[in-house]
Amino acid sequence: MEPSPSLPAGSAPPAAASGPDAAGRRPPAGPQAAPGRTPRAGRGVWFNRRTVAVTAGAVLLAAVLLRGTGYRYEPYAEQPLAVSSDVPSDARPLEQFTARLRSRQRTLGARLDALMPKGVYIVIDQTQNRLYLKRGDGTLLQAVCSTGSGMVLRESGGKKREWVFDSPRGRFEVRSMSRNPVWHKPDWAFVEESQPIPTNPADRLDYGTLGEYALYFGDGFMIHGTLYERLLGRAVSHGCIRVGRDDLRKVWANARVGTQIFIY
Amino acid sequence: MRASRIRTFAAAAALLAVIGTAAACQRGAAPAATSDPRSEAARLQRTNAQLQKQIELAAGKQFYLVLDPATSGLTLMLKGAPLQRFTVRGLQVGHPRVAWVSARDPRHVQSVIWSGGELDPPRQIDRLVIQSAGPGKEASESTPPPIPPTPEELYPVPSRYHVRFADGLSVEILPREADASVGRWAHARAAMAERWGDIRSALRSSDRDAIRLRITLDPNDAQSFYRSLPPAVRLIVLDGEVEPAQPAPADAGAGR
Repeated sequence: MEPSPSLPAGSAPPAAASGPDAAGRRPPAGPQAAPGRTPRAGRGVWFNRRTVAVTAGAVLLAAVLLRGTGYRYEPYAEQPLAVSSDVPSDARPLEQFTARLRSRQRTLGARLDALMPKGVYIVIDQTQNRLYLKRGDGTLLQAVCSTGSGMVLRESGGKKREWVFDSPRGRFEVRSMSRNPVWHKPDWAFVEESQPIPTNPADRLDYGTLGEYALYFGDGFMIHGTLYERLLGRAVSHGCIRVGRDDLRKVWANARVGTQIFIY
Repeated sequence: MRASRIRTFAAAAALLAVIGTAAACQRGAAPAATSDPRSEAARLQRTNAQLQKQIELAAGKQFYLVLDPATSGLTLMLKGAPLQRFTVRGLQVGHPRVAWVSARDPRHVQSVIWSGGELDPPRQIDRLVIQSAGPGKEASESTPPPIPPTPEELYPVPSRYHVRFADGLSVEILPREADASVGRWAHARAAMAERWGDIRSALRSSDRDAIRLRITLDPNDAQSFYRSLPPAVRLIVLDGEVEPAQPAPADAGAGR
């Protein structure tokens, strides 16, 4: 390495170095100091090599530590079975204990089965706009439907009301069923169309919009037909579940008042 | 030549014998474990405890997930009714570690009701707000209402995502053959982001991500699960070991 241009060759280093580089910068002494080289130059070589080595080591260490940081995955294994102290050791009491557990298992199994819906039930996946007609674990019908658009409607004048057109989530049941249903248009239907809200109830009646059948499940929500079958599969409704004509006929044929509806 | 053949045959026979003996030992070991009456009683106790928890879930008002490793099924349920079933292709448990030092949570994921499960990243709902024009004022006729987007357009699904539960369990959903449909650069970027997220989570050493359950689903199922999962979902993991994953049908690939 060439001597530093700031120092003439062979010049002695300052007696007391100061500044941030001062620490640990002693001139190499003894046989390590090559004859004919300045101590400053020797220190530079030593310092640079050490810096590089330390930096490389730190980077390597950081890489190794980071490599070992994160999540370690292992195949799922069942929780090991632990025999609790309340399990008897003697044969006779153990036999009775096991019999009681088996009886309890049957009881709990029956209670769990009793909670499952009986007969046909309707499942609606509102994000994917699908309606399923199910019995137990089997699917009788899979249909494309339209669920709530999620749109927000704000009234400009009047009471400045706001409506959010979401389909509800949860469990419901068919409360009533109607053939050739007539829609009693609510206020939002007029607000949306910028029409005055009628005072005469007869002016709210709308024929044919809901298709051939409607299954009411509360709070003004229903499963019904649609005039806009091309929009099935998209979330376009005001919260009701719109179904195509053929699928609606199958739903109508299988559903009864009390049929459970699950919307998620 | 003949001696060589005999040696090969002998070696093969010895290997078969060893494999046969090992298999016989394994077969013999399984019934011994289950035929122990005290183990049998303990197994029944555990089954009953699980049934009790399932009843508790079915009696509640919240949606819940039942992960059954024995049947490789993840089922979304409400009030005891199975709503949607996803086939589990792989199941792993992950524990955080910092600088090779494991910070293993002593809890087991099984037989516990995990509650308050929320998607991470959350499913964004972009609501369209319409201000009515007021009675008598006609809305502009020249602009027809826009065709609403499909669910696929409405909810883009990340390549990997989590369902984080309140008590420190995080379910990581990983599509099988993840990111097969995206480019190499996007794949690398997603992998880097995932790795960095893992490091941050492990370093944070919080209860938020103390145990991970990595569930591998078919790509379509993974997307469907993300789009469908209701908020504040609960989870129970049932008894049983994971069965070897069945190969997915040929048309279930990500490129469809």
